[in-house]
Amino acid sequence: MAATLANGSADAPIEVSAIPTVVGINFGNSYASIAVLNKEGNADCIANEDGERQIACAIAFQGEEMYIGNQAKHQLVKNSQNTIIGFRNLLGKKFSEIAVDKPTTSALVIQHPDIPDTPAYKVQILQPAPTPLPVSKVTSAAVTPAASNVATPRSEPISTTRILTVSEVTSVFLRSLVQSAEDFLGRKVQGAVITVPTWFGDEQKKALGDAASDAGVTVLQLLEEAGAAVVTTTLAPRSENDSLPEDRTQLLVDLGASGLELSLLSVRQGLAHSLATLSDHSVGGDAIDDRLIKFFAKEFTKKTKTPLTVAPATEPQDKRAEARLRLAVEHTKRTLSASTGAATCSVESLKDGLDFTGAINRLRFDMEMRPIYDGVYKKVQELVEGAGLDLYDVDEIVYVGGSASLPGLDEALAAGFHENVVTPFTAGTVVGGGVGDPTTILARGAALQAKLLATLGEGSEEEREVKAAFAPSSRWQEAKATTKTIGLIFPEENAESALGGQWIPVVLRETALPCRRTVRFDVDLGESDGDKKVGFEVWEIKEGVKFTKEAPPKFEGDDEDAEEDEEEEEIETKEKTLEKESLLTSLVLDAKKAQKAGGGRSKTKLEVQFMIGESGELSITAFEAPDGEKVTASVATSL
Amino acid sequence: MSHVVELPIVPPPNPAGWTPPASSGKSVAPLVERRLIPAGPAYLAHVKRAVHQLTFEEHDKHAEEERKRFETLNGVNGNGEDDLGIGDEPETEDLLSLDPKEWKKQDHYAVLGLSHLRYKANDEQIKVAHRKKVLKHHPDKKAGVAGDSNDDAFFKCIQKAMDVLSNPEKRRQFDSVDPHFEELEQEVPTEKEVKSHKNPDAYFFEMFTPIFEREARFSRSQPVPMLGAVDASKEEVEGFYHFWYNFDSWRSFEYHDKEVNEGSDSRDDKRYTEKKNKSERARRKKEDTARVRQLVDLTLGLDPRIKRIKQEEKATREAKKKGKAGGAQNGLTQKQKEEEEKKRAEEEAKKKEEEEKAARAEAKKAKTAAANAAKKARRAARTVEDDAAA
Repeated sequence: MAATLANGSADAPIEVSAIPTVVGINFGNSYASIAVLNKEGNADCIANEDGERQIACAIAFQGEEMYIGNQAKHQLVKNSQNTIIGFRNLLGKKFSEIAVDKPTTSALVIQHPDIPDTPAYKVQILQPAPTPLPVSKVTSAAVTPAASNVATPRSEPISTTRILTVSEVTSVFLRSLVQSAEDFLGRKVQGAVITVPTWFGDEQKKALGDAASDAGVTVLQLLEEAGAAVVTTTLAPRSENDSLPEDRTQLLVDLGASGLELSLLSVRQGLAHSLATLSDHSVGGDAIDDRLIKFFAKEFTKKTKTPLTVAPATEPQDKRAEARLRLAVEHTKRTLSASTGAATCSVESLKDGLDFTGAINRLRFDMEMRPIYDGVYKKVQELVEGAGLDLYDVDEIVYVGGSASLPGLDEALAAGFHENVVTPFTAGTVVGGGVGDPTTILARGAALQAKLLATLGEGSEEEREVKAAFAPSSRWQEAKATTKTIGLIFPEENAESALGGQWIPVVLRETALPCRRTVRFDVDLGESDGDKKVGFEVWEIKEGVKFTKEAPPKFEGDDEDAEEDEEEEEIETKEKTLEKESLLTSLVLDAKKAQKAGGGRSKTKLEVQFMIGESGELSITAFEAPDGEKVTASVATSL
Repeated sequence: MSHVVELPIVPPPNPAGWTPPASSGKSVAPLVERRLIPAGPAYLAHVKRAVHQLTFEEHDKHAEEERKRFETLNGVNGNGEDDLGIGDEPETEDLLSLDPKEWKKQDHYAVLGLSHLRYKANDEQIKVAHRKKVLKHHPDKKAGVAGDSNDDAFFKCIQKAMDVLSNPEKRRQFDSVDPHFEELEQEVPTEKEVKSHKNPDAYFFEMFTPIFEREARFSRSQPVPMLGAVDASKEEVEGFYHFWYNFDSWRSFEYHDKEVNEGSDSRDDKRYTEKKNKSERARRKKEDTARVRQLVDLTLGLDPRIKRIKQEEKATREAKKKGKAGGAQNGLTQKQKEEEEKKRAEEEAKKKEEEEKAARAEAKKAKTAAANAAKKARRAARTVEDDAAA
């Protein structure tokens, strides 16, 4: 029998799951999102059981039920006093620190009745009535009549109030997020990375950490939002953004619902540090909503002759109408971001039983939002100037947050930047779950960071030290960075540029130390035969931006337009400039591996490595690729 | 790894009069304190370098080791799916243009991409291989592809192959007549080939070892003694020949049976075909037994060890003779002599037995031939009768 033969001896595979069950949670003030690792080890933003990738940070209590997420948001219309929103920003804050003057449409923040100086929410709930006590058999047999077979009717639930602290609310919410992830994965979540905004202090971080551990979530790291964005953008497959150098200056525009946060980051081969940050709570998605609501309210008044004043609304009827509109425009905004056509907004029984249907196209929308875009642009300018840089120094813009998905914002911003600036819109990575999708970028970054942290060992003292370096305010986060760009100049006769030769930047300014950079390039050796030498100088360079103003070119023969011409301003052009700062050293090596290229000129491949130590000592190694003789030079540190 | 940036810049040659300027003695401009964002693998690498006080090169080495460790941990094919070593065999044009109607002639193992495993493939491997092929060749997958989308001939071949190989009985029948091995069976070297080879001993073992390894799969009793090496002991060699002269094979030839014509309900027809098949099977079986015997005969005739063993025996005998001549150890020699005698008798008996066996086979053959002839004659007579009746 064939079956009795010594058949194939392949062993059954041992199941080693290479992917830990960790999640990344982007915990915003208005919306949260969850990302998990997929089979390939990449991060995917997942939807919760309601099919929402953007989960509203809201908890509503109605009767005996508790609603979390987008379902809770809908409670804002009828059940606003029992709906809690915007609780993240209150984490770790004292009651006295919170400005309560802002009109809200949700549950009020009150002083906790027992714990001093603690903000809390008071909600009306229905508590299920206690089940009737089981009747004791001994006494019942004699005294009470025979028990009927009918089930005891359930007693009416008791109406009661419940006081929830901000931390409790956060715990409940985080628990529901992790639950969604566990339902999706089918396995227990081992750890999570949660994003925090840059302005979160130690108090807030601690409060969030405590709330998370109350919810039973192991927090691997509380990661700054900027960090999450950097992880996502630097770990993206290279083919998609090839035009981007590995050393770049990144501008992070986080336009959330409740505020604008800007960060200017120096990303150097994935290692990032912040050059400047700015947060402004006056512009944000809510402001966009306000404008849109006002626009539609005006249209409603025009169509139905019913007065409707919103944002801020005063009358209770108007308030309810505003809440309705606010929910409806969310959809309108998303439609606008996704397609170029017009988007509708329809609300049934907006006010006085009158339905409303309005439409807005992108042009009109951008016109309405112009002041907001301009506000963002102004803040960006302020930030970049504050860092001593120019808009032209920014290589990449990364958008974060739902409101930043608006193409109009990108168009408005990009006008001020260099034409080569890469944004998710120019790279085409916004749609289709691309790298640059502003709504999921943070969650995905957090998940990738969680994957990284999950692989860290804890065996030795040093490994624990490495792990501790990811905690806030670890000393390993302190690093020195260069202030000037260092590079090579190949001297040239009759050079066009101001540097007197071909300039090759190697170590850019704001590169964290210690660092190592290697460049490889072909060198032209001229037409002559005989001994060939390659020589270059190593310079520090001062970078700047030159403004030149020039009158617009006038066309002859268009005298009839003369009046218009006068109104035109001078065109301002910007240009990046380079200036020699100081000569560091120079190197010469013999080219032994020159190869004849076309046109009788010979070429050789040169590889130059720059190594800068922690305190600024520079050593340069140059050799002919792949294995030529190495020539080195070094520059001592002045410290 | 050291990350090398390839630049598209081609710097010009140095100017004629250029000499490298002396170092200015200046150092890198004053540094600024920055706070790194603790995120991403780059930060991890930075911290590892700092904590373990590694240089860039040392860290590169560490990272490389780590990567390798992870690779081995996750297995060679990191996708987590194990194909049990089936691999991916190229599908030739001939294979893809097989006709499912001629399924008896196809090589089922080749169709499923298992031609490197053949009878060694286990049921699990066959299942995985079948799934693989179906995923690739299912007609639903081909719909929409240019050409004849109804061309599911190869898919039918796959199904037929699975049909045969998943059934132990059918698989045994097919394994018995595996076309791949039948081809190899023809390639037994002749006596002349071995003898004329410049190194006959080495050639003998090179040629015959795989043959016996192949034939061993038919043995009902396992394990099977193999040919062994040049310096095998007498017992081993004898054991080998003893086993192979009494080879008990499970090989059968039902696979070559002619199909009973389904269309006809004539019982006679059916019986006739069955009978014919049976005799054909028996004939083939006999042929196969004869083939194995011939093969063992050939091996025995060519085996250099037999000569060696005979020489050794002769040497011991002579040594004994000499000892006898010396007049010493008389009793022992007597004993040896007795033993030898016994052995000779045994060998003779064996020979006789073999001869008898062969003769019996011959006789049986003749008998069958006679029976066949008689049958033929009877049939001829019947046809004549039938004709006459008509």
